[in-house]
Amino acid sequence: MKLFGTRTVGALALVALLQTAALAVLVFDRVRLLQTGREITLPIIPVDPRDLFRGEYVELGYAVGRVPARLIEGPPPRPHDPFYVTLEKTQDGTWAPIKLTRDRPQETSGDRIVLKGRSRFGWLITDPSNTNAMNNVRYGIEQYFVPQGEGPRLEALARDKKLAALIAVDAGGNAAIKGLLIDGRLQYEEPLL
Amino acid sequence: MSWYRSKLERDLARWQAAGWVSPTGAGAIRRDLDQRKSLFGAAPALAVLGAVLFGFAVMSFVAAHWTGMSKLARLLLLLGTLWACYGGAALLFQRQLNAFAHAAVLGGIAVYGASIMLIAQMYHMEGNPADALLLWALGALLAAVLTGSAPALAATFVLLSVWSCWERLGSESAHVTFLLPWAGAALTAAWLGWRPAFHLAALSLVIWIVPLGFLIWGHHAHWLVVLIGGAVALAAAGWGEALDRHLPVSAALFAYGLGVAYAGLFILQFLDDNRWLVGSAESGGVARLLVLAVLSLALVLGAMLWALKSDNRPALWLAYAAFALEIFALYVRTLGSFLNTSLFFLLAALIVSALAWLAYRLHQSKVATGAGA
Repeated sequence: MKLFGTRTVGALALVALLQTAALAVLVFDRVRLLQTGREITLPIIPVDPRDLFRGEYVELGYAVGRVPARLIEGPPPRPHDPFYVTLEKTQDGTWAPIKLTRDRPQETSGDRIVLKGRSRFGWLITDPSNTNAMNNVRYGIEQYFVPQGEGPRLEALARDKKLAALIAVDAGGNAAIKGLLIDGRLQYEEPLL
Repeated sequence: MSWYRSKLERDLARWQAAGWVSPTGAGAIRRDLDQRKSLFGAAPALAVLGAVLFGFAVMSFVAAHWTGMSKLARLLLLLGTLWACYGGAALLFQRQLNAFAHAAVLGGIAVYGASIMLIAQMYHMEGNPADALLLWALGALLAAVLTGSAPALAATFVLLSVWSCWERLGSESAHVTFLLPWAGAALTAAWLGWRPAFHLAALSLVIWIVPLGFLIWGHHAHWLVVLIGGAVALAAAGWGEALDRHLPVSAALFAYGLGVAYAGLFILQFLDDNRWLVGSAESGGVARLLVLAVLSLALVLGAMLWALKSDNRPALWLAYAAFALEIFALYVRTLGSFLNTSLFFLLAALIVSALAWLAYRLHQSKVATGAGA
C-alpha cells in the first residue's frame, strides 16, 4: 500500500527469507534429533486394535506412557508444564519408567534414558498414597502419519504381530519417531530428507 | 452500486431539488467518489479468495502426493511456492496492481502456514499445535509490517485469536502472552491506518477479555470483565471528543465497551452458576439474579440513550440486541419459578414502550434544536 519500487522487492525478499529460515530451523532441528539422538525401541500398544491404520495418522500407545503416581519424585510438576520421565532398561531388554520429575535429571548410566513428557490431560495425579493411580503421559511420539494408500499394507503387516517404534532421543529429552518395527524388523525407516 | 453510493445519489437528488447543491457541485461529488477506489471491489475480493484457495490447493496436493515424492522434493516444492508467491507480489506491486499483489502476499502467508503443518506431518511432530499457530501468526505479522499489507494484517489478527483460544483451551490460564503479539499487530494497524484493522484488533481483544472471567481467580472473575467493558465505554463517552480529535474511534470504542460489559453481565447472570441458562433460579439465587438483571437493564438502557444522543448507530443496535437477549434469557431462566410468563411479557412490554416514548422525545428535541439552529 505504501511502499513501491526496489524497497518493496527488498521487503518481500526479506519476508520470504525469514519465513524460509523459520521453516529451515524446524526441519534442521528435527533432522539433528533424528541423526544424533540416542536410539531406543519401544513396543507399541495399539490404541484401537481393529482399525490401527485406518485414518491419515495412527495414534500410537506405549507402555511407558502410563506412569504410576507413586513414581513422582521431588516437587510435582506444575499443571500444563512439561516434565521428565526417566526410563530404565529392564532385564528382558524393554524400557520401564522409574521416576517422574519436574526438572531434568542428569543420568549417565547407559541403562537409563530421560524423556520429556506432558500430561495428556494437562494435570497429573500426584498423590503418592494412591498406589493404583496411573498418569497418561505423552512424549510427542504418539502420532504417526501414514503415507496415503499404505494403511492397508501396514495394517496387514501389523495384524497379530508385535509392533514397535524406533525412537531417537536427544540430550534434552526430546523424542522423535525414526521408524516402525514389525516383529523386530525395521519396516519403515524415516528418511531424513 | 455500494450502499453509500445509492444513499448519496438519493440525497444529491434531494439537495439539488432544494437548490443547495448546484449540478456542477453534484457532478464533482460523484467524480470524487469514483476516484476513491474501494479496497473491497469485486476483483481484489476475488483475488484474495483465490489466494486462500491456492493455499488449500498446495496443502492438499502435497498431502495427496505423499509417497511419490521424497521429503526433500516436498520441502523444495513448498519453498518454491512460497518464493513464487512473494516474487509474484513484487512483480504485481511494480505494475501497480496493488490489490492482486496483496492477494499474492496473502497466498504466501497461506503457503507458509501450510508448510509448517506439512513439515510437522512429515517428521511426525506432535509437539504443541498452538506453537505452530503462533509461528504462523508471527510470519503473517512480519509480512504485514514489511510490506504494509492490510490482508496480511487481517490474517495476523485471525491467527493470533485462534492461537490464543487453542492455548487457553489446553492450559486453562489467562494467556497474558497473547497481549504481546497483539500489541505488535495493533501498532501495525495504527501505522497502516486501515480502519477495518482497528475493528479486528478490537474484536480479537474482546475474544481475549470476555472468557477471562472463567480463567482467572477461581473461575469467577466475570465482574472484572464487566468493569473493563464499563470503564472503556465510560471513557469513550466522557472523553470522546478529545479522543476523536486525534483519531475518530470513540463511537466504536463505546460499542465495544458496551459489548464486553454486557457479555460479562450475561455470564454472571446465566452461565456462572453452572446452570447454563436453562435451569431455573434457586431461591437463594433469585435476589442475586434480580440485582444483576436490574444492573444489566440499566446498562443497556443507559447505553441506548447515550447512543441516541451521540448518534452512535452501531452502539444503538448492539444495545437493542443486548436488551432482547437479556429479556429472552430472563424469561427462560424465570420460566415457572417466581414470575409467571404473562407477567414477564407485561414487564417487557412496559419497558419497551417506555423506551419508544423516550426515543420519540429525544428525536423531537433534536429536530427542535436542529430547526432552531
